[in-house]
Amino acid sequence: MASQAPAGGKTRQTGRVKSDGMHEGFLRHRNFYWLKIASGLSLLSMIAYILIDVEPRHNGGSWYGYLLGTIGAVLIVWLTTLGIRKRNMTPKAWSLKAWTSAHVYLGLSLIIIGTLHTGFQFGWNVHTLAYVLMMIVILSGIWGIFAYSSLPQQMSFNRDAVTESQMLESLRSIDRQLHDAAQPLSQANATLIRESLEQDPFGGGIWARLTRSYPKCATRRVHAEIKMFTRSQVDTGDDPLERVDGLLERKASTLARVRRHLQLKALLEVWLYIHVPITFALIAALVAHIISVFFYW
Amino acid sequence: MSFIVRQISNTADGRQIVRPTTYEQVEICVGRDSACEIHLPDLAVEMRHALIAARPGGQVHIEALGDMGFEADGRAVDRVTINAAVGGELSFGRHRLTVSKEGEDIVIAVERVASVADSTDEKDVNSLFKLDGVLPGRRVSAWVLIGLVLSAFLIWPIYSYATSQGVKKREAGFHADTMWSSGSLSIAHKSLENNCQACHVKEFETVKDETCMNCHKHDAHDHAKPERLAAAMGPKSFGGKIEGMFMASFGIPEGRCVECHTEHEGEGRMEPTAQQFCSDCHTNLKSRLPDTKLGGAGDFGLDHPQFQPLITAGIDGDKRLTKRVTLSGAISEDNGLKFPHDIHMSKSNGIARMAQTMKAEQGWGDSLACKDCHVRTPDGVSFKPTDMEEDCGMCHSLAFDQIGGTIRTLRHGEPSQVIADLRAFYRSTGPSRPINLSGMSRRRPGEYAAFETANDYAAGARAWPGQADEAIRAVFSRGGACYDCHVVTPTGSGWSVKKVVQPTRYMNKGWFNHDAHKQEDCQSCHKAETSKVATDLLLPDLKSCRTCHVGGTGESLVSVKEPVESTCAMCHDYHFDGMAPWQSKKQGNEKMKSNTTAARQEEKGKGLSPIYGTVRFSSK
Repeated sequence: MASQAPAGGKTRQTGRVKSDGMHEGFLRHRNFYWLKIASGLSLLSMIAYILIDVEPRHNGGSWYGYLLGTIGAVLIVWLTTLGIRKRNMTPKAWSLKAWTSAHVYLGLSLIIIGTLHTGFQFGWNVHTLAYVLMMIVILSGIWGIFAYSSLPQQMSFNRDAVTESQMLESLRSIDRQLHDAAQPLSQANATLIRESLEQDPFGGGIWARLTRSYPKCATRRVHAEIKMFTRSQVDTGDDPLERVDGLLERKASTLARVRRHLQLKALLEVWLYIHVPITFALIAALVAHIISVFFYW
Repeated sequence: MSFIVRQISNTADGRQIVRPTTYEQVEICVGRDSACEIHLPDLAVEMRHALIAARPGGQVHIEALGDMGFEADGRAVDRVTINAAVGGELSFGRHRLTVSKEGEDIVIAVERVASVADSTDEKDVNSLFKLDGVLPGRRVSAWVLIGLVLSAFLIWPIYSYATSQGVKKREAGFHADTMWSSGSLSIAHKSLENNCQACHVKEFETVKDETCMNCHKHDAHDHAKPERLAAAMGPKSFGGKIEGMFMASFGIPEGRCVECHTEHEGEGRMEPTAQQFCSDCHTNLKSRLPDTKLGGAGDFGLDHPQFQPLITAGIDGDKRLTKRVTLSGAISEDNGLKFPHDIHMSKSNGIARMAQTMKAEQGWGDSLACKDCHVRTPDGVSFKPTDMEEDCGMCHSLAFDQIGGTIRTLRHGEPSQVIADLRAFYRSTGPSRPINLSGMSRRRPGEYAAFETANDYAAGARAWPGQADEAIRAVFSRGGACYDCHVVTPTGSGWSVKKVVQPTRYMNKGWFNHDAHKQEDCQSCHKAETSKVATDLLLPDLKSCRTCHVGGTGESLVSVKEPVESTCAMCHDYHFDGMAPWQSKKQGNEKMKSNTTAARQEEKGKGLSPIYGTVRFSSK
């Protein structure tokens, strides 16, 4: 990819679009082969649902309900194996791309199969719990596809060819300079600068990362306070406060880029923190659902 | 005495570099100012932070110059005196000063113990930008969630089940296995909502018929013998065979109660049997069950046998003999009465005139209507047997004497009592005494007239009891009170009145509710106005019903103005018990439900048979 991205904004843009194309590779795999299979499966189950007469009404306990439930449960277990499969290398027909493509489309078809299995009977019970968990997993997966196809472009644009270690190094460099530049400052100002230095630039919880909201950012506050002094005086060029001011400004802009990167990365990753653990909760609920159904047959 | 200051720094590869400086003076300064002997480039240190002075006896005195103190051996202080021989440790900001003694010199080792900023601390760039630090790990969350879900939704309910074995009714409150309930129970089973163990008796075993029959032993019975049911169903479809195979492999018998009576389908009444359940077997039943007496029935509107009412075939002593007849053409049934409907319902004859004169007294119209003689049961479902005194006595009076203001009537239904009462009447009374025989009479000249009167009266009084026979004969003969309505035959010694039977129900395999038809005129089904004899069976036939009732398919062989969709369950019940069938929500309504309940209660309370009315007359 590096060879396809010579210097210059425009050409680099082309490179990014190309990279998106590669991200969608598993979606378009074999000319939407798995999309066709999954749609066929969904359509078939819907037609059968309409045509098959279950009295008094459709439910998971009719023979068709059992059939859909079995298909759904097998699908869920198979979909989970992507986690094992992606750690192994196999080429060709069952390449990871093919597997992922099937994972996405068959996973989406579970919306239809699972919902028809319920017979639209919901309640506050273990059965609906399993259904809700399944829907959360599927929706988080949809979000994941959306994130994977759109966020890397924004991320690349924000990073502007700077790597993560370079980001960290640049922060460190500014901090060291800030530390040196602040040496001649009065104790009060030195204390202010310390606050900026001692705050963890990667601090803040998941919420701060996702929303890029850092109300307690020391650098921004300190910068504002230092500006109170520097604003009113002429920049002579050798005032340490002016230097500190300049450094704080650089730090703030670097932090902004780092935080935008953190946000994009969080948005890109957060779905997996839902998708994976909830999948296991779903498998547990599925086990409880199946056992309970036959326990109280 | 002098100070030796050793600046210690660490290289990236962990080597230590020590740069010693000797100060031949008794006082040195610690501060951020580069002019200080111990220069600490540390923003947490004041420009001139503290003064270190050597005192005699190897003592070292350290005193802060500004407001910010320092730490000596871990304690925050403003000043401190240390015995250099013993040694001590001082902290200024992110620097550590270690005081010791070497010969006569005081040695102070200076070392930075923390980096200049948080960012310059050691950080793993691989995980720094990831969510690992701010979210619990996926593996940990997965295990925690698995544990939570399994304990709350599997182990806890199983515990509930295990601890309620054999319990008839569990305590109110939450029981974990109710979380397994796939939906609310129907109204009938509402009380079992919190008692899973009532139906789910054994783990991994389907609900058994015996469990249902524990409560339903009085209101459910087999529809037919299992082998006949199986024969009527015919060969199974491919899917049915597979289903049967599955059931057999799990040891589940076929034809269980719960196959039709599905529960946990939500609140409300249990769903009625769908027509298909009936028609699957009953359409062309004879082709699969050749010896059946039942006609094939697929749909009321299109494929239903003619009605076969159970009519009176005769009377043997007190017993009503019955026979089934197909309701086609004119059918007569002798119920023992000589009652012509047409003259009673005429709008212009003497009866109509009589009705008009009694209009105010009885609340009648210009002629008699059905309701004037036929009284409905309280539930409105059917009609009570007509009661002579109540329903006929308004016109057909049995009065024969008056004493004071009290009318004496003949006893209906007891001919021997009638005879006795008439005899007693003639024995205890005499002809009325002529007024001129009393002592207070005005006398005319001459005794002859009085004598004649007395003679006549005496002869009359003598013959008076003998007139009873004539009166009795008159009552039981043509023109008499009994003879008009009853079949009376002389027995030589007395009179015999034929027993009257009034069936209140003719079609016992189906259900009919008059209340559901009250918007209809009686005449539209019962052709009473033109019935000249009491033996006319005034039941409507299949065709007549089909003028409104189309089948469950919505079709009918008869053209229909306002179709009423009628599935089998409207009239028939799988577990037939002589009462209203399990009405569907569409067909039934709450009123009908309460009526049915009322009918059951009333008939149970009275001990009346729902099939026959009472037999009122006796010839004794």
